[in-house]
Amino acid sequence: MPTFLLDDREIEFNPGDTVIAAAERAGVDIPHYCWHPGLSTAANCRMCLVEVLPPEGRPALLLDVLRYDDQKGDYVMARKPKLQPACQLGAAPGMRIKSQTSEHAVEARAAVQEFLLLNHPVDCPICDQAGECRLQDYWLEHSGKKKRMKDEILHRPKAVDFGPTIVYDAERCIVCTRCVRFCDEVVGDHVLDKRERGNLGEIVLAPGRQLDHDYTLMTEHVCPVGALTAKDFRFKARVWFLRSVRSVCQGCATGCNAYTDYDPRNQTVYRHRPRENQEVNKYWMCDEGVLDYRRVHEGRLLNARVLGKKSSTEDALSEATARLAPVAKDKVAILLSYSHSSEDNLALLELARALGVEQAYAAGRPDGSGDKILRHVDKNPNRAGVHQLAAATLGAVPLDFQSLVRAVEAGRIGAILALGSAVEDAEAAVHLKRVPVVSISTFEGPLAQAGAVVLPASSWAEERGTFVNAAGLSQVSEKAIEPQGESLPAWRHVLALAGRLGVTLPFARAKDLEKVLNARAPRGSTGPASQPAAGVSTTEAQA
Amino acid sequence: MEPLDLDLESTEVELPVEPMLVNVGPSHPAMHGTVRCVMELSGESIERVDVQVGFLHRGFEKMCERGTWTQVFPYVDRCNYVSPMLNNVGFALACEKMLGIEVPLRCQYYRMVLGELARMSDHLTCDGAMSMELGAFTPFLWMVKARDLIWDIMEEETGARLTHSFGRVGGMAKPPTDGFKEHVRAVVKQVLSILAECERLLLGNRIFLDRLEGVGIISSEDAISLGWTGPCLRAAGVPYDVRKAQPYLKYAEVDFDVPVGTNSDCLDRFLVRIAEMKQCARIIEQCLERMPDHGAVNVDDPRVVLPEKDEVYSTIEATIQHFKIVMEGLKLPAGEVYSYTEGGNGELGFYLVSDGSGTPYRVRIRPPCFLVTAGLERIITGQMVADVVPCFGSLNMIGGECDR
Repeated sequence: MPTFLLDDREIEFNPGDTVIAAAERAGVDIPHYCWHPGLSTAANCRMCLVEVLPPEGRPALLLDVLRYDDQKGDYVMARKPKLQPACQLGAAPGMRIKSQTSEHAVEARAAVQEFLLLNHPVDCPICDQAGECRLQDYWLEHSGKKKRMKDEILHRPKAVDFGPTIVYDAERCIVCTRCVRFCDEVVGDHVLDKRERGNLGEIVLAPGRQLDHDYTLMTEHVCPVGALTAKDFRFKARVWFLRSVRSVCQGCATGCNAYTDYDPRNQTVYRHRPRENQEVNKYWMCDEGVLDYRRVHEGRLLNARVLGKKSSTEDALSEATARLAPVAKDKVAILLSYSHSSEDNLALLELARALGVEQAYAAGRPDGSGDKILRHVDKNPNRAGVHQLAAATLGAVPLDFQSLVRAVEAGRIGAILALGSAVEDAEAAVHLKRVPVVSISTFEGPLAQAGAVVLPASSWAEERGTFVNAAGLSQVSEKAIEPQGESLPAWRHVLALAGRLGVTLPFARAKDLEKVLNARAPRGSTGPASQPAAGVSTTEAQA
Repeated sequence: MEPLDLDLESTEVELPVEPMLVNVGPSHPAMHGTVRCVMELSGESIERVDVQVGFLHRGFEKMCERGTWTQVFPYVDRCNYVSPMLNNVGFALACEKMLGIEVPLRCQYYRMVLGELARMSDHLTCDGAMSMELGAFTPFLWMVKARDLIWDIMEEETGARLTHSFGRVGGMAKPPTDGFKEHVRAVVKQVLSILAECERLLLGNRIFLDRLEGVGIISSEDAISLGWTGPCLRAAGVPYDVRKAQPYLKYAEVDFDVPVGTNSDCLDRFLVRIAEMKQCARIIEQCLERMPDHGAVNVDDPRVVLPEKDEVYSTIEATIQHFKIVMEGLKLPAGEVYSYTEGGNGELGFYLVSDGSGTPYRVRIRPPCFLVTAGLERIITGQMVADVVPCFGSLNMIGGECDR
């Protein structure tokens, strides 16, 4: 690999790399605002200026400048090298670049920082970005000086409503145009633009438009300062109190990698942020996915229920056993969930196998809209995983929800043990009530409604779980908070039920369950290539 | 009522021939702080003794690992709570050593004056309490009166009499008050005159001298091998003083003597402290002469020093500076450092490890008292029970420093 020298450190680069990209890959941070690895180069913030030394034996390119001389009390002529933005500078073999070791680059960065803060309001105490703001970090690292301007700062529009999700603050904006470029290049919707120059520069909406495409919250994510803030997160939490876990978005079958940010003190999840994964979501997430975290605390089922009445989990388990035990084993229907982790589904499949059930059913959230960027029409995070596990455990892909309804109507089912909350056809779920239904549900919904006995399951944020996305990639979502209310991970309910039904499952702890899962569906396996297309489930006839 | 005079013959008193175990402490008025002595007595002489110091445990070093570096100051205040200013300055110097910064001249002298005043208050407490425990109550009251005068200065300067939390990395919480120098000069003069009176009261008193002379002797070799430092080691004839041996602040530039003892007994430890207080007064006078009346107290470094409050409210730069230091904590470069100063009772060392974040990775203290108290067993074995009181008093155990 060719290399160049950055502050006496050898940096490897691929032909075509810019200096900043190669440095970042090598773990060297060149300060920057406007550059984003997923967007085109604008080179407008001037924070990444570096000094490029001339080739051996050649004179440096010098500029004539006026420099203030303290002793003379006047400006004097001086010369300094022409600095280059590292984000736009293509790397070449043997290049010698000075970043932190160049007095000129250091001086230029301090000056840029002074300019960027020239008209910045004193907002840190009320700004959501405080604590993760580049202006704060870089001021201390690269400037540390008071501004020299004595005038009152320029006041600009604040709290401009950009649409249903985003609020803009022109005073805090450094006009790096990351948000403009994101909308143009990733979404393909030229809804934002920049107008005016210098002090007056600001981001504006296209006339007659609102910022209302499906990826608006990413504009807030790429904003390096507090100019764009998400209405959803505004004034909700201070970021330094939040902790993050690596999670997988539950909004659709794409399985975008995310960080779940939660406050450990009140066990509350506050937001999702995208986590870089070049194979899945690159740097981005859609609005639906970012806001999907809200389901952790909304519409949750937090207590066990027997015949619609609140009950203890113990009593509910006894009631569930009383309904399931007398039914002939071949008449128990097992309903898997495309919304639950592979662990939960595997536990249920193991129970089915131990009971001698040969065919499982599966259901999930109904299809929604999709696009060519990230959003998948299948709104379930683990359809591929369920199919893979069912095939490996019972030897057959599960039948769809309609097949279950038909089987119940035909009288072929004696009782149902259902995992999950939503089904494709919510109205048809009432037909399940003809037989006793035991539901293990996270949310209020058709299955919880249909259940004679309902056991509260914890959400994905409350237990480590594996999810296989539509591309067949198996990914782990980590545990953020403790299970809410009386809820427990669904596989624990299955384990307890198995004990009462007198069957032994091959696991008793999370660790053992993981081992069984790894044996059944090796991690990293990309699954069968002929994965059923999203929304198309195997029908009874095909099976 | 039953007659009180019992039949003497039936209650014949037998002198014990077995050694008797006597337990003093951990909570006992004669013990300064929580320490426990289990003594095996033969008659009135101590055959064996087991000194246990682990009763006070706040987990101070562990507590330091969850706040910022600045938030450690209140904790070190409570290590030696009789001279907290010395601990504050000692910790600040350790952090500054790691950052490679030096505070302005004015602050260096300010720290020295406050530190020497704290040393005086420490020694006054020790000698005063020691004499009180031997029955001389008047000197105690007088010495504590002198200590209160010193604490008046502390209150004036810091706002608190006992736990000041006044040190800061890169300076002090506030600059000296306007009348600082006059106040200190007046108080030092008063303290010295009170000290002279106490000397007249005690050093001509046969009973007092008899209780101290030749009691609690330790050889200088033993003292060194036990890790003793400070007045107790100097009383054993070893002229080791960090201020002379490894001068910090401006101690190399001021003129003072290191008093040493000859007999290494309780009386020497008492006298060394008296002599040191007089040296403190000398140092203070020289510092006051050289301390500039104007100029910055804190270093000019936005990484460590908080900005002025009115600027925080009016400019974004100061707001950011304040935010970074308060919310994230000032950051010490990754690495480790051992920094030591002369505390009230000897070498006060701080071993700090930083991972480069705003929170200490490890704070280890070398408290002089812990090591000095470890020698109590050595000096009271073979002594009479009554000698425990002056011996223990002369070591000046401070419970907070023995937090292990």
